[in-house]
Amino acid sequence: MVEQLLNVQNLETHFKTPEGIVHAVNGVSFTLTEGETLGVVGESGCGKSVTMLSCLRLIACPPGKIVAGEAIFRGKDLLKMSSEEIRHVRGGQISMVFQDPMTSLNPVMTIGKQLAEPLMLHLNMTSEQARNRSIELLSLVGIPNAADRLKDYPHQYSGGMRQRVMIAMALSCNPQILIADEPTTALDVTIQAQIVDLVKRLRDELGMAIIWITHDLGVVASIAHRVMVMYGGYIIEEAEVKELYANPRHPYTLGLLGSLPQIHEQAHTKLFSIEGMPPVLYQKPTACPFAPRCTWVTEKCWKENPLLEPVAPGHRVACWVDTKSGSKR
Amino acid sequence: MTNYIIRRLLLVPVLLFGVTVIIFAMLQFLEPVERSALYVKDFPKNEKQIEGIIKKYGLDQPIYEQYYRWLVGHVDPATGIRTGGIIYGDFGYSRTGSQPVIDMIKNRFPNTLDLALWTVFPMLSVGIWLGVKAAVHQNGFVDQAARIFSIVGTSFPTFVFGLLVLILFYAKLGWFPPGKMSDWVSQLIFSGQLKQYTHLLTIDALLNGRFDVFWDALKHMILPILTLSYINWATFVRVTRSSMLETLRMEYVVTARAKGLSEKTVINKHARPNAMLTIVTLAGMQVVGLLGGVVITETVFNYPGIGQAAANAAQQLDVVTVLGFAVFNGFILIVANLIVDILYGVIDPRVRLD
Repeated sequence: MVEQLLNVQNLETHFKTPEGIVHAVNGVSFTLTEGETLGVVGESGCGKSVTMLSCLRLIACPPGKIVAGEAIFRGKDLLKMSSEEIRHVRGGQISMVFQDPMTSLNPVMTIGKQLAEPLMLHLNMTSEQARNRSIELLSLVGIPNAADRLKDYPHQYSGGMRQRVMIAMALSCNPQILIADEPTTALDVTIQAQIVDLVKRLRDELGMAIIWITHDLGVVASIAHRVMVMYGGYIIEEAEVKELYANPRHPYTLGLLGSLPQIHEQAHTKLFSIEGMPPVLYQKPTACPFAPRCTWVTEKCWKENPLLEPVAPGHRVACWVDTKSGSKR
Repeated sequence: MTNYIIRRLLLVPVLLFGVTVIIFAMLQFLEPVERSALYVKDFPKNEKQIEGIIKKYGLDQPIYEQYYRWLVGHVDPATGIRTGGIIYGDFGYSRTGSQPVIDMIKNRFPNTLDLALWTVFPMLSVGIWLGVKAAVHQNGFVDQAARIFSIVGTSFPTFVFGLLVLILFYAKLGWFPPGKMSDWVSQLIFSGQLKQYTHLLTIDALLNGRFDVFWDALKHMILPILTLSYINWATFVRVTRSSMLETLRMEYVVTARAKGLSEKTVINKHARPNAMLTIVTLAGMQVVGLLGGVVITETVFNYPGIGQAAANAAQQLDVVTVLGFAVFNGFILIVANLIVDILYGVIDPRVRLD
């Protein structure tokens, strides 16, 4: 039996805005087992980042608020911990890498200092030990002349190198979970591939579990074991990566996969796209949030929001229509 | 960093040249006869003598020649006596001050500096503290209080606020008198018993070990300090707060939190240093304002600073004095900007560009 590392149940997060309360995460439940890589996919604003930030209580509060749910990490609820306790989890046991390496490092602090901070905090290293460990870490993520580059500032690093630094920083205290929040989105394609390879290599060496948030289905296919598709603050489909790509069930997942350019496709054919915009939910929806954009929509979709239900072993979908057979549930 | 400082220093002469050219150009609005008044104590009644002065100072010479004479002076080959030359401190004779302008600056500026020095500390420390606090607890009690405090401060004219504290603390309570010092202190200085090392009264008092004198000086300065601090706090707290709020929204602040750092470290080590850039700019401007003399405050409290003298000169159309002060002020501004620029370099590694 593989041990369950993180168990999130019915997580709900709201944001107070001048226009009203935005329901960003609406009862999300998922688990993560040790050493597993979970891909989280969805459009911008679908709640994937907020879900993970909520688990670490890193959303700005106010305006954000975690209104319900629990996130059990090694037997303790992250959402009920004291702020002192959660600080020890953050960076120490669960760490994060963010989307934009250009803005996620402090511009007026040397790389060395920023790297040393978590080491001194969580591992009680002296500044000398932290320095040596930082050099090791930078070498580990493939930064040449690591010792000399510790006293550099972020602006002296390229985007790809900064993201390597972020990864080094996140892995510095040997966390059990690495949450990577679109870590390749802001990088160009060759660097993206390098970063993905780096994380894969480090995962194999260090054995941590990864939650990889992205909207790049290609990246997910290459790194994740299991994939969760989110829409409007809900998980709408979840499956093993091969199963998901082979048998996508939810109309939204079908749409996402359909909108990928195919290499064997004829040039100049129009790329498929899902019509409309993702919703901003000011109320908890009573209908399926995807209904307005769905080509499979039925009457029931407008009346009731479908729950996530298993359709095959390890495969859960939230849809009233069985897109495989076309029958209604 | 050294490179950066040297480059900034090289700019100083260029800026000084610019300032003098502009002010000299202003002088050209005056007729040669009027300009001749720049150089003499008693303006002669008879036309021949006036012409003599014009000749002596070369006021009929081409403009570049005049600028040169105004800037570095002109040595009479016969007598070897230099006339004019602002680089030697010859700004002309102040009619309203009944002394050379440079002496007026020498007498007045230490007072202004003294006041500025004691205002800067409460202004910056309380201003930054309150601004940061307000930003961290956005919409909380401190924030609302700071906001009201700021609005009142900005909308309060200096003379009203100054007058109010004067009425309360001087007229009613008799705690803090206006002016610069008590009579016994001026006698002490006059008799030479209080050695004037710096001409800043508070500093000299401390250097002489005379705490009674120090206390007297401070007592006279508390109300102007309070007034100036309050008026400046208003802007300062607002700018610090908004700068801090902006920084707190930055991704690297989330990164810092995600590392598990305490909120205190996140704010003091990560957010605040980044917010300092805007704060330093404003602080530099406010300090320049203080050093240039604070006319209204000095007038209300009858404090013999440079602002009071400048206002008095302007009122009596004493062009010579006003322009002399203008050159001096330009100089202060350049020095202050230099300091601010160097501070930028210290705070922000991206500015150093080496």
